[in-house]
Amino acid sequence: MDYSRPALADRPAAEYVSGALRGPARRRFEALLTAHPALRAAVAQWQARLMPLTGAIEPVEPPASVWDRIESRIGGSTAPVATRTAWWNRLALWRGFTAAAGAAAIALALVNVAPGPARPPIVVVLSATGPAAGAAGAVPASFVASISSDGRAMVTRPITHVSVSPDRALELWAVPAEGVPRSLGLISADGTTIVKKGKVLDNTSALAVTLEPPSGSPTGKPTGPIVYLGKLQI
Amino acid sequence: MSSAPQPEWSDRSRELSQLLARTGLGDRAAFATLYRKTSAHLFAVVLRICRDRGQAEDVLQDVYVSVWRAASGFDAAQSQPMTWLTSIARNRTIDGLRRAQTQPRLQTTSTDEEDSDVYEATADDRPGPLELLSRSSDARALSTCIDGLAAPQRQSLALAFYDGLTHAEVAEKMGEPLGTVKSWVRRALMSLKTCLERAVQRDEAAAGR
Repeated sequence: MDYSRPALADRPAAEYVSGALRGPARRRFEALLTAHPALRAAVAQWQARLMPLTGAIEPVEPPASVWDRIESRIGGSTAPVATRTAWWNRLALWRGFTAAAGAAAIALALVNVAPGPARPPIVVVLSATGPAAGAAGAVPASFVASISSDGRAMVTRPITHVSVSPDRALELWAVPAEGVPRSLGLISADGTTIVKKGKVLDNTSALAVTLEPPSGSPTGKPTGPIVYLGKLQI
Repeated sequence: MSSAPQPEWSDRSRELSQLLARTGLGDRAAFATLYRKTSAHLFAVVLRICRDRGQAEDVLQDVYVSVWRAASGFDAAQSQPMTWLTSIARNRTIDGLRRAQTQPRLQTTSTDEEDSDVYEATADDRPGPLELLSRSSDARALSTCIDGLAAPQRQSLALAFYDGLTHAEVAEKMGEPLGTVKSWVRRALMSLKTCLERAVQRDEAAAGR
């Protein structure tokens, strides 16, 4: 069946999400999901429609033993680290960060790759780490940063609509593997920003965007929460 | 039992998105917090479908190990964190269901019983699936749409969705032919979809877009 046609994707997706699809048919459907974006999109829509229904179920606290077993299965103790280290120092320890492939694909479609013999720019997708709490209120979204291959210039732009409250600005940081992030300046929440700071890529392992006062961080170091983060993969 | 404790679905989203993003970066403390904030809901969802407590605990454990591994794939721009988490929990639970476990809770119901007894009463004192469906009022549009469903559609959807019954099991429980139940569930889903889409369009029109 041609699952790229939304009309055909909708019904099996509804049956899958509602739980009606069972046994081998369910497994076959799950196998199809990986190959059919339209099917995945239909499933996501049905999940968004139906999962709020579970909000009516009275929560039941699981026994503590469940968490103990989870902890041992993911390895190591998960006792919260008491020492409050700055986030940029912990960044190097955060492993396995990969920008969602979907977001990367969108980003590549949006960024104009200059034609000609020049090497293509390096594209970094900055994923929302969850917007800063409450009043600061940037909505979850993603940024894409396109860096010229010589590392001298960068263009940032939001992939989706980003709203930042008037008393806050977005500041871009080049985060080294170790040490303090360097400010790359403020970036626009609703359009393209050209960043010319020279040697953007030198000693940079990630790009981060923080919420800062309107004129930027007063200290030269990030003061606000990280709202977007993207690792450089060169 | 009319006012159910609603997890504030949208209010919690922002915080949970952040916890998931950090979990995806290997932040164990964030993962522990995520577990603390979401496990009671997911456990309840699992327990509803998989009535064996020990097995439900095993499923929950698997769910969170999956979440730990898959969190970096969560995209806050694409889905709500509770939707994402609950979907994983439901999928795990349904995958783990075997007929042997769903069979014993089926009781033959004589057709001359009151309808409400069939759908509302369960062996224990937990609310029936139909009551749950009527409680799902955290999204006003959703509850309006559910109210708009014909009674048999609502009943069959509630049994299938909340209790994870197969169409055949729903048919047996309701004392109706399988084909009838299948088309009820299908029509219920399609009506919900149409109704929710209309609600979105109305909201957009109201917002002057």
